[in-house]
Amino acid sequence: MASSAAVLEDGSLLSRLDGQLLRLEQLLALVSGLAVFSLMVLAVVSVGGRNTVNAPLPGYVDWIEQVMPLIAFMGISYVQRDGGHIRMDILIGSLRGRALWLFELISVLIILLLMMALVYGSWSHFDRSFDFAAPLWSRDSSIDISLPIWPAKLLVPVAFSVLCLRLVLQAWGYGRAMILGLKHPVAVPLIQSAAAQAAAEAEQLSEAGNGAQKD
Amino acid sequence: MEPIDIGLWVTGFMLVMVVAGMRVAFAAASAGLIGLIWIFWAKFGYAPDKFTKALTVSIKVAGQVPHSKVSSQALSLIPTFILIGYLAYYAGLTKALFEAAKRWIAWLPGGLAVSTVFATAGFAAVSGASVATSAVFARIAIPEMLAIGYNKQFAAGVVAAAGTLASLIPPSAILVIYAIIVEQDVGKLLLAGFIPGAFSAIVYVTLIVGIAVFFKNVGPPVTGFTWRQRFEALPAALPIIFVVVIIICFVYNPFGDEAWGTPTEGGALGAFVVFCMAIYNGMKWEQLKSALLETAKLTVMIFTIIWGVLIYVRFLGFADLPGAFSDWITSLEMSPMLILVCILLAYAVLGMFMDAIGMLLLTLPVVYPAVMALNGGESVAAADSAFGMSGTMCAIWFGILVVKMAEFCLITPPIGLNCFVVAGVRDDLTVQDVFRGVMPFFIADGVTIALLVAFPSIVLYLPSLAG
Amino acid sequence: TEWNVSVWGKRRAFTEHVERLAELVSEKTNGEFTLNISYGGLSKNKENLDGISIGAFEMAQFCAGYHRDKNPTITVLELPFLGVNTLAEEVAVSHAVYAHPAVQADLARWNAKLLMTSPMPQYNIVGTGEPRDELAEFKDMRVRATGGIGKAFSSVGAVPTSVTATEAYNAMESGVVDTVAFAQHAHLAFGTINRAEWWTANLNPGTVNCPVVVNTDAYDMLSDSEREALDSSVGEAIDHYLANYGALLSKWDDVLVEKGVTKVEISESELAEFRKVAADPIREAWIADMTAQGIPAQELYDLVMDTLADQRK
Ligand code: NA
Ligand code: NA
Repeated sequence: MASSAAVLEDGSLLSRLDGQLLRLEQLLALVSGLAVFSLMVLAVVSVGGRNTVNAPLPGYVDWIEQVMPLIAFMGISYVQRDGGHIRMDILIGSLRGRALWLFELISVLIILLLMMALVYGSWSHFDRSFDFAAPLWSRDSSIDISLPIWPAKLLVPVAFSVLCLRLVLQAWGYGRAMILGLKHPVAVPLIQSAAAQAAAEAEQLSEAGNGAQKD
Repeated sequence: MEPIDIGLWVTGFMLVMVVAGMRVAFAAASAGLIGLIWIFWAKFGYAPDKFTKALTVSIKVAGQVPHSKVSSQALSLIPTFILIGYLAYYAGLTKALFEAAKRWIAWLPGGLAVSTVFATAGFAAVSGASVATSAVFARIAIPEMLAIGYNKQFAAGVVAAAGTLASLIPPSAILVIYAIIVEQDVGKLLLAGFIPGAFSAIVYVTLIVGIAVFFKNVGPPVTGFTWRQRFEALPAALPIIFVVVIIICFVYNPFGDEAWGTPTEGGALGAFVVFCMAIYNGMKWEQLKSALLETAKLTVMIFTIIWGVLIYVRFLGFADLPGAFSDWITSLEMSPMLILVCILLAYAVLGMFMDAIGMLLLTLPVVYPAVMALNGGESVAAADSAFGMSGTMCAIWFGILVVKMAEFCLITPPIGLNCFVVAGVRDDLTVQDVFRGVMPFFIADGVTIALLVAFPSIVLYLPSLAG
Repeated sequence: TEWNVSVWGKRRAFTEHVERLAELVSEKTNGEFTLNISYGGLSKNKENLDGISIGAFEMAQFCAGYHRDKNPTITVLELPFLGVNTLAEEVAVSHAVYAHPAVQADLARWNAKLLMTSPMPQYNIVGTGEPRDELAEFKDMRVRATGGIGKAFSSVGAVPTSVTATEAYNAMESGVVDTVAFAQHAHLAFGTINRAEWWTANLNPGTVNCPVVVNTDAYDMLSDSEREALDSSVGEAIDHYLANYGALLSKWDDVLVEKGVTKVEISESELAEFRKVAADPIREAWIADMTAQGIPAQELYDLVMDTLADQRK
């Protein structure tokens, strides 16, 4: 059950930091989207080249494999900001007030711990493929046209670090809500009822669907 | 403690976290990381001074997984299929399709409902996601049905059920995910979804016509469209057919013996055609930008579950739990078919509470090898197998069955997501209304699944043609 | 001692020496030292060296061509048209190269010690359409061949086309490629032989080199008897591999007949011409490139040639 939810804002420091980080996250998510678009372009170039001048894109598969991390990781923090990562909220949805915030806080702290570990782990994965002394700094290359792989591997710890920042803000937001006993805390995604959430989702889709029609 | 015991403990711990409401991707990844640390520390004999080493090795092993698993050409189909779906909204293809279906086939009893099923099936051929499909048709089709006096619950049920077609009829994000987990040919799996998808649609249509004939006031036919009007509705809907033809022909060409390219290329070119359509229909940068952002969001969400679960799967590899589970399954003294039915029923129960993608990712790494072992192994010949099909064909058949189960769960209470979506779109409908309306389809799906189990050739006909 | 071994795919001719090694080692130590072979459960094939370097598992198989920059020295064995004709020759040149200090230093960066090779036959091509047995006919031919072999084909005007191994069958069926270069067992495994109309019997454009390595620390921690059991089993494991693969190769001609695939023999003069345009410049570029990185490239190449000459005496 995707629990995409609303995030409230006010003029507080926390909320302003949330806004700043959101701008970065949106930019990264857009990079992700443009990378999806580039898959389409790669295919058009390769198929077009093959069928017109018998020149498919050299290393087509290598290029796709390089683009995939851009698509998969850059938006991870943006999705976490809106609470868009899938979870089962039957149980957690029945909690209210401090109990709910405590629960969310614990959950965010576990994720933060995990992601800090993975920043280290993915950095070391990058580090093994990187060598200042080697041509193109490359110590790991793709199978077909020997593209250096370290840039793609570097994306992972970078995206995960942004997610860690986001998780720190959310921990702050939930912690604050728990201590102060807030009803509508800022800078954290609030659970909507399944129905309200479905309405929001459908709203967004049908807006999209009507967006460009000429009628 | 033996690695397999560690595997069971950690798996239990993960399920507790998931049920408690931890985000699935991170619950799986944390469980995987904890499991790896446990396994390595156990290997070092739990020596206190070796804990740091176990920790470092585990974190480095887990840290490899995201990049390693995600940079795969086969997975590139997922974002492509999602992009096609979003661009199709912008191109206004959805409405055009419903309009054409209405003018051509609404004269049948329950005509508008039948048109809805056909239009949804058509849209399913460019959309990879069920929930989005239901949401769109709830807006387009329900008002028209209500306007001519359809039963409200029935109309809602039609849309909720028809939305599930999107994950069987190619392209389908969920079938791609299945193919990746079980390491089978994506193209053949997509192809295999086609007939069961169409078959489900026909079962739905038969049911609708039956209901409309039997209960006169449920869904009156719509007549009076002239042939001229019918043909006028076609051009706007044609691009869908064009895209479908492109994708199908890149996977397997039914018109000759040569396909046009590879499935990866087909998906990407399909997206390009829809993109051109959307541009032609006046899409601006702002709209393209939000389509790209929405695509990125959904893609990232799916990929995060994928690598999260794969960290857990990497741990399972070190614990050899899949091996142990399939040894256990094959040692049971029950007929393989009965065991398979039990597995499918277990999916039905699990699916009541879980999201389809999360459910498949969490269970398949353990269940799939067991099912393959049940049939006689990955490379078994049809003649020596338990289900009368080769290993490859069994993988395809089981994939379609599991995906159909997952779709079935989208319309079952208490957490049928499609039903919530339809109720959410319409202020005049409660979730209970939709669940009541979807009930007949629920039974129809049960029949469909039974038929797919009993007659595997419905699933395997097309893939076996593709060699 | 229990070791985890990371290989990939299914059990096949390509992994038989590892399976045999596990049997032998366990027998010789009365079950004291066991090898747990995992097919893909522990790592992705392209990351087996990373796993060895981390210490995630103790033994692994990989192919040098998957990642040239991880193991530049071994790629000498993947140069096109080296002239290796049999699996036994492949074993001899591989093990000679593995014993070279520069190669060992290269792998030491991954904390890896080379144990043995997995000899692969030459990547001869299968194709659709009219058999191509002259150099001129390779012009504009779309071929699925990676790395050095791909470069060799492009130097005679062919068009290397990027397709994954799993999509190779689709690619052939759809005309995305006209020809595919694989070892025989892969032509069978990926089904390319089923689309083929011809196979080049003597083109021998080159092959990939796939060593089995062990983690140096784990190797050093073995007891003397365990190490002895491991080292002494390599020869027999390789013999088993050669016998097993040999059986597969002897069936190959039957497979060709059964599938109606024409066996194409290319004339010696055409081959000489191919070697001149393809092999020489690629080799020279490789030597210059590697020498610039401080690798004794010429020495490694000479070592291969000398070993090959010795082997044929
Ligand atoms: Na679909
Ligand atoms: Na359900």
